[in-house]
Amino acid sequence: MLADRQPRSFLDTSVLSRLAAVPLMSRRPMQGNVSGRHASPHRGASVEFAEYRKYVPGDDLRRLDWRAYGRSDRFYVKEFEADTNLRCCLVVDTSGSMDFGSTGITKIEYARKIAGSLGYLAVQQGDAVGLTCVANGIVRSVPPKRNAAHLMTVFDVLEQAKPQGETQLVAVLHELAETIRQRALIVIISDFFVEPDLLRGCFQHLRFRKHDISAFQLLDPQELGFTFRRPMRFIDMEGGPAVFAEPNDIADRYQKALQEHLAGMKQVVLESAIDYHKVSIDENYEQVLMRFLVSRTQSKGVR
Amino acid sequence: MSFLQPILLAALPLMALPILIHLINQRRFQTIRWAAMMFLLAANRMSRGYAKLRQWLIMFFRMLAIAGLIFAISRPLASGWLGITAGGRADTTIILLDRSPSMRQQSPGTVASKLETGRQQLVNTLNMLGSSRWVLIESTTNVAHDLESPDALLKLPSCEPASASADLPAMLQAARDYVQANKSGRTEIWICSDIRQNDWNAESGRWQTLRDSFLEFAQGVRFHLLAYPQIASGNTSVRVTEVRRVQTADSAELLVSLKLTREGDTVGRISNPSGTSASNPSSKDGLENRPTEVGKQTIPIHFEIEGARSEVVVEMTAAQFELKDHRIPIERSRERGWGKVSIQADANPADNEFYFVFDQPTLRQTVVVADDPQAARPLQLSAEISPDPNNRGTAEVIGVEQLGTVEWDKTSLLLWQAPLPDADSTKTVQAFVDRGGQVIFFPPKSPGSDEFAGVKWQTWTESPEGIPVETWRGDQDLLAHTQSGAALPVGQLEIRKFCGITGEQTPLASLKGGAPLLARLTSNRGGVYFCATTPALGDSSLATNGVVLYVMVQRALASGAAVLGNTRQLVAGDPSGFAGENPATWQKLAGSNDSLSTDFAFHAGVYNAGDKLFAVNRSLAEDHATVLPDGRVTELFKGLDFARVDDQAGNIAALIQEIWRLFLACMMVALIVEAALCLPKIAPTATTPAGVSA
Repeated sequence: MLADRQPRSFLDTSVLSRLAAVPLMSRRPMQGNVSGRHASPHRGASVEFAEYRKYVPGDDLRRLDWRAYGRSDRFYVKEFEADTNLRCCLVVDTSGSMDFGSTGITKIEYARKIAGSLGYLAVQQGDAVGLTCVANGIVRSVPPKRNAAHLMTVFDVLEQAKPQGETQLVAVLHELAETIRQRALIVIISDFFVEPDLLRGCFQHLRFRKHDISAFQLLDPQELGFTFRRPMRFIDMEGGPAVFAEPNDIADRYQKALQEHLAGMKQVVLESAIDYHKVSIDENYEQVLMRFLVSRTQSKGVR
Repeated sequence: MSFLQPILLAALPLMALPILIHLINQRRFQTIRWAAMMFLLAANRMSRGYAKLRQWLIMFFRMLAIAGLIFAISRPLASGWLGITAGGRADTTIILLDRSPSMRQQSPGTVASKLETGRQQLVNTLNMLGSSRWVLIESTTNVAHDLESPDALLKLPSCEPASASADLPAMLQAARDYVQANKSGRTEIWICSDIRQNDWNAESGRWQTLRDSFLEFAQGVRFHLLAYPQIASGNTSVRVTEVRRVQTADSAELLVSLKLTREGDTVGRISNPSGTSASNPSSKDGLENRPTEVGKQTIPIHFEIEGARSEVVVEMTAAQFELKDHRIPIERSRERGWGKVSIQADANPADNEFYFVFDQPTLRQTVVVADDPQAARPLQLSAEISPDPNNRGTAEVIGVEQLGTVEWDKTSLLLWQAPLPDADSTKTVQAFVDRGGQVIFFPPKSPGSDEFAGVKWQTWTESPEGIPVETWRGDQDLLAHTQSGAALPVGQLEIRKFCGITGEQTPLASLKGGAPLLARLTSNRGGVYFCATTPALGDSSLATNGVVLYVMVQRALASGAAVLGNTRQLVAGDPSGFAGENPATWQKLAGSNDSLSTDFAFHAGVYNAGDKLFAVNRSLAEDHATVLPDGRVTELFKGLDFARVDDQAGNIAALIQEIWRLFLACMMVALIVEAALCLPKIAPTATTPAGVSA
């Protein structure tokens, strides 16, 4: 599928091939328009028996269960679960803060890898993939589609995404909750440098729209450790005022603020039942994705 | 706080080094583009109380460490009394050493006297401080001597105790002259003294002059007073007041009168409630020691007459004790000799001995120069009749023209009732006075224009009803009270005629209206008196009411006789007593072995020169331990650079000591505390878990 194209920097075929062994599952029933591997809220033509229903005039006579009629002298229609495809909406934060990286890789590059791999895996199993780049609004948006050519478009957009501007993640998530019409798997890849309390509203809004939400919080090891020695002048990558600080002096309070934020995030994701992953970007993204995929297979099938 | 290397204090601005490094460090910041600004901003908003305090403490302790180091290498001295000796070593250090007898006083429980302690302290201190030149001015000669080093203070005989009182203004004057003559640079003057009133003469007008002249020195003169103001507790002094040789039919006796004075009795003071001393301002600000009533004390008094010893034990119940005419038999053939009275050792050994000499009483010869026989006769009678039957007096009445025939060497008193001497006669009379003779002038019938030592007679004033005597000085001189304290009947005199006196004189008695009746002139030796009336019947009742005249004449006669003869009681260091004598030629008969032959005049003892015998003793003022109050001492040095420290006799603790170790310890403590504050916090064990799934 990618043979005639230039290899994308954020895709590794060997990783993809290994990840392809584990299906990308949805934790909630999806409303696809074609048959797929995901549970649907509707009855369909799968092999999995769902229920008996009383025959009403107009029902297809072919779906009458004659055996049941023979035993009970009543007309029942036999219904089966429907399997459908899912629509995977990848929301990638492309604000200025995503350009940070101290280990040779920036957060946006890491986000590209995760988004690209998930997009490929989804299309591979027949699901639709869309992409929304978020900075101080929706920068680029590609609606979910399930063909391979569309995947190229998604990759192109990913490749071209430039981290700049402020984060308006909260507003964008609310907007997406309103604009994505059908149930979808929404994967948010961001550093989530937003107040957790504000995120709670977004997540609950998305949940209300019956979306399955996954969140990857990308954090740089330096952001986690704050291991500076000399006095530093910190320039805001999103254009805010610069801060001058003596690391020895401020480190403990920085850590306190960071831990408070992480604890707040944890609280929010627990309350909102978000599939949340805190990722340090010096980790191997394959393992992160593998963990993500495996955890989802365990929680699939809820209809 | 003072420093031996104050120049190094100039490095104190280095204390700002931590601040400077901090500021430089702040300048050397790195710039980084940072994503997680929300945490930084949140951290900045958080309370910085302890963190800020810690930073300040670290800064403070770093500065403290540097300050400690600088102070340590500046060699601080543990005594504030030196003041900051800015500028380092003194160019000239002048040591004024008070060698007066009171400096021999010891503190209870010690054997070192004030002088010894002071010398030792000076040696220690001055060796530490250093100077380019050392000069000693000791209290007997008041002459500046160069010293090789302060150590010489311990060896020089001229630093040993003497019996002569000190004269601080004269010593300072010598110091001032030295500074002026040698044009010395920065000068330090060290005074070691027990600040006794009689040594310091605080009322003297010389102090003002000295202050002004020291202030004129541009190079700066610094005064340090090492004071020993403590008064001895229960110190008793002995003083012989009179020695007479009397001859009986078959033997001879010496009548010795002496006085014991007990000073500074702390027992009496301690037994007083403490409130009394606080309520008594004189005892509070002044260290004046008044004799107080004390308990009974038995004192053995030892007499030594030409080596023969005897002892008498007396009981002293008050602060003063007087022994009158204690009879000591001597050989009949011994007509002259010397003796010593001593008491047991106490706080001050200098006043436990008193030397005396005795001789046959000298002939009390009086010359009466009179132009009025009526006046001359009472004068002659009062001079002739001696109070001592063994020592008859003679009085010769002569005219002015017979002056040349008088044997002045044997004459004690001149009574002059005639026109004041002319130029030639004045020379003769002045020479007589300078030798120690006494003259009393009475007014002539017709006062002329002649004058004697600037004083001359005016005109006669008559008052038939008699002019009473209004005031007279009963405390001293010719009209003083008797030994029993009774006043002379001067008030009973009737003055019918008197002659006015003009010129510079000190009235000893004044008539109603202010005219002087008896006046004394200022003289170096001897005594010159002017009596405004004569004993003539028409002039006054001096003759009829003869007590006053008799006492007056006999007292003058006694004073005049005292300087005659071959034995003399002298006050150590008093130049007027040694007139005409050369102490360097004396031979010592008794006294301290430490004294040099050239310094006999300043040491108590008995000396002879040819036929003459001299007993040298401390001055009377030495027995009265009046210490100058602190405020008064400060006043004397007002405006000058002056520092004072009070030390105690026998004190072995150094006045100053180097305390750089303390500062070094401070520095180390500061460094340790700083290091403790700088220790990083123990990092939390759970470090950034990789990818925690919610």
